[in-house]
Amino acid sequence: MRKLLIGIAALALLTTGCKDRMDIESMSLSLLIGIDLDNENKLIFSASSPVFSKEAKIKEENYSTPAVTLRASRDNFDKTFMALIAGGKTQAILIGKSVMQHKGWFKLLEPFLRVPENSLNTRIVIVDGPAYEVLQYQPEDKPRLPLYIAEIIDTSLKRNLCVKTTLQDLRRATYERGITASVTQLHKDDRVIVTGTALLDEEGEFKLSIGSEENRLLRILQHETEGEFPFTFQALNQPKGEVFPENAYSFTAENISVKTKTGHTRNKFKFDIGVKMRVVLSERLFPFDVRKNARKLEHDIEQQLENRFKKFIAKIQKAEIDPIGLGLYARAYKYRNWKPVQDHWGEALSKADVNVKVKVTIAAMGAIK
Amino acid sequence: MNEITLMQYIFLIQGAQVGTGILSLPRTLAEVSGTDGWISLVVAWFLNFLAGYVILLTIRRYQDFTLPDLFNYLFGKWFGKLLLLPLIVYYACYGWMVLINAMLYIKAWFLPKTSEYMIVLLFAIPSYLIVRHGIRVQARYSELVFYMMMWMPLIFLVTLKYGHWIHLLPLFKEGFEPILNALPKTVFAYAGNEILFFIYPFLNKKQYAVHGLFIANTMTMLIYVYITIVCFVFFTPDEITLLNQPALSLLKTIEFRFLERVDMLFLALYLIVVTKTWSAYIYCTVFSTSQMLKKQDHSKHTLVYFIAAIACTYVLNPTWNQSERWTTMLSNASMIVLYVLPVLLLIYTFIFEKYRRWKAA
Repeated sequence: MRKLLIGIAALALLTTGCKDRMDIESMSLSLLIGIDLDNENKLIFSASSPVFSKEAKIKEENYSTPAVTLRASRDNFDKTFMALIAGGKTQAILIGKSVMQHKGWFKLLEPFLRVPENSLNTRIVIVDGPAYEVLQYQPEDKPRLPLYIAEIIDTSLKRNLCVKTTLQDLRRATYERGITASVTQLHKDDRVIVTGTALLDEEGEFKLSIGSEENRLLRILQHETEGEFPFTFQALNQPKGEVFPENAYSFTAENISVKTKTGHTRNKFKFDIGVKMRVVLSERLFPFDVRKNARKLEHDIEQQLENRFKKFIAKIQKAEIDPIGLGLYARAYKYRNWKPVQDHWGEALSKADVNVKVKVTIAAMGAIK
Repeated sequence: MNEITLMQYIFLIQGAQVGTGILSLPRTLAEVSGTDGWISLVVAWFLNFLAGYVILLTIRRYQDFTLPDLFNYLFGKWFGKLLLLPLIVYYACYGWMVLINAMLYIKAWFLPKTSEYMIVLLFAIPSYLIVRHGIRVQARYSELVFYMMMWMPLIFLVTLKYGHWIHLLPLFKEGFEPILNALPKTVFAYAGNEILFFIYPFLNKKQYAVHGLFIANTMTMLIYVYITIVCFVFFTPDEITLLNQPALSLLKTIEFRFLERVDMLFLALYLIVVTKTWSAYIYCTVFSTSQMLKKQDHSKHTLVYFIAAIACTYVLNPTWNQSERWTTMLSNASMIVLYVLPVLLLIYTFIFEKYRRWKAA
């Protein structure tokens, strides 16, 4: 009897939670959030959330409002949205380029890190132009916008057209001195396009945009070799062709393995990055005997890749940023030399020697000669 | 009748050690010794085992004496009680502190609107049902929970895919000094060997007491090192010091298609593991008080303890900052109970026995 009473009392206590339950109809999930700066450098926050109502014609509500901070903007959304904003389901935070052109914008995302109900896997996206324009976009041939945006980033990542930066990745890159952040870049004119990746400096300020080809190089240098790595090159020692690119060929790189060696001589860092890959030809517009002259083609690929790596590295060195994360290697293997430069690593990296050596093996040529 | 097996003895010790400390341990270590923090854990494990061994050396002579009996025998009726009192306060505070820490985690991470005392009340009901019985029930509970929760550390493996082992290098980056400086930070997490005073007399195969202690402490160490390394590998060295509970933040990044808040589920289940910790300390408290007042049954004292714990929570409404301050204070007390007291006791009993024999002769 006593045990039964205790049991009932315990169960009754649990019901106290029922009083503040949440129905999905009375929740407004801001699946997309936009942050912009207007002409007077005032912050504009936008949110888009799905409407769970049969009567509503448009299934999305969105609103833009000026506010002091992200958390403060919630009040303004609650004033107009059908239900109260609940966090935790945000798919992407779209940030206008105008915001990212200022140092320290990362602080704006604080509530996402501080409040445990918010997800750390929210995608961070830079928009080439105002972010609220993307939020207001209602394509007829696509599913709900938040799903579409989330999906387009995830699928682009599979082909390595862009990086996928979650809030956790961004925090990692921002607070770590040995890496600088890189985020997915979107563009919107009459439709939404993933244009590649934006590279930021240590303070989060926007520095460079890179396209899909350079993005693949970046991913390789980051040792992130998952997904597909297709490339299309124009052979160096083949006739160009008049109308059609007769010297073009395409391949997909597989089994990419990357080794980064760290050294320090004469007051500067030296990184030797060895990239080994097996390639499968997927297209070749010029006649060539792969059976006999495979080495020649391999050499062409190696040379072209090395040139591209060199150009890319020169670019980031000039911008004094380190999206690759070479700083982590510097700390791990040359701690003594890293310590004096850790607070201005971008500058130290810009003086460093970074060499990339590529070793290619043609694994397959496909179904035809 | 009230005997416990070697396995139960191991799980009791291990259960008393692994509690809430683990969630914030990677940060507190990284704050002092960077990513070398895990080495501190290994050093601390050695020291703990040594201290536990010293406890066993002392109580081995008095095989059937629990701490109240021992003090009674060594220091006399009144002086023994007087000396026992601060220790009872220590055990009581420690049990309450674990309750409070667990309550704060639960409140912050998934019951933000439930009041503090209510959460402690919910903790208290099942714990009361366990603690009011003898050591044997608790030992069985510890064993069962251990087997049931063995899968929990495996969840962390999911994150290793995104980890960078390079964060751990270089080892001994600033030499040995920061590693030693981080040792005090491990005390709260490692405390637990002091329950030996209460469970050793009930162990059925006393010849394996040292082996059991070694196994229990090693298991604790392995769990701590594992969680700490997983956190260090996932978060960068600069980032980890910003997170209050790195282990939970780590779980938050795991998302399955069917389950988004892994951290919440983990914490809710981890509570069952934490119950072992506070139950062990509360058992020691109420066992001592009932022995002191010459009561055979300690279930009334258990009830009083829990009511007092809930009342204290209701009155004090502990905040995070308070809880952290008290935890630090308690860690200092633990250092005395864990490392100083055993040595003093050993020396005292040595002299005491010599004196007794000399007198008898």
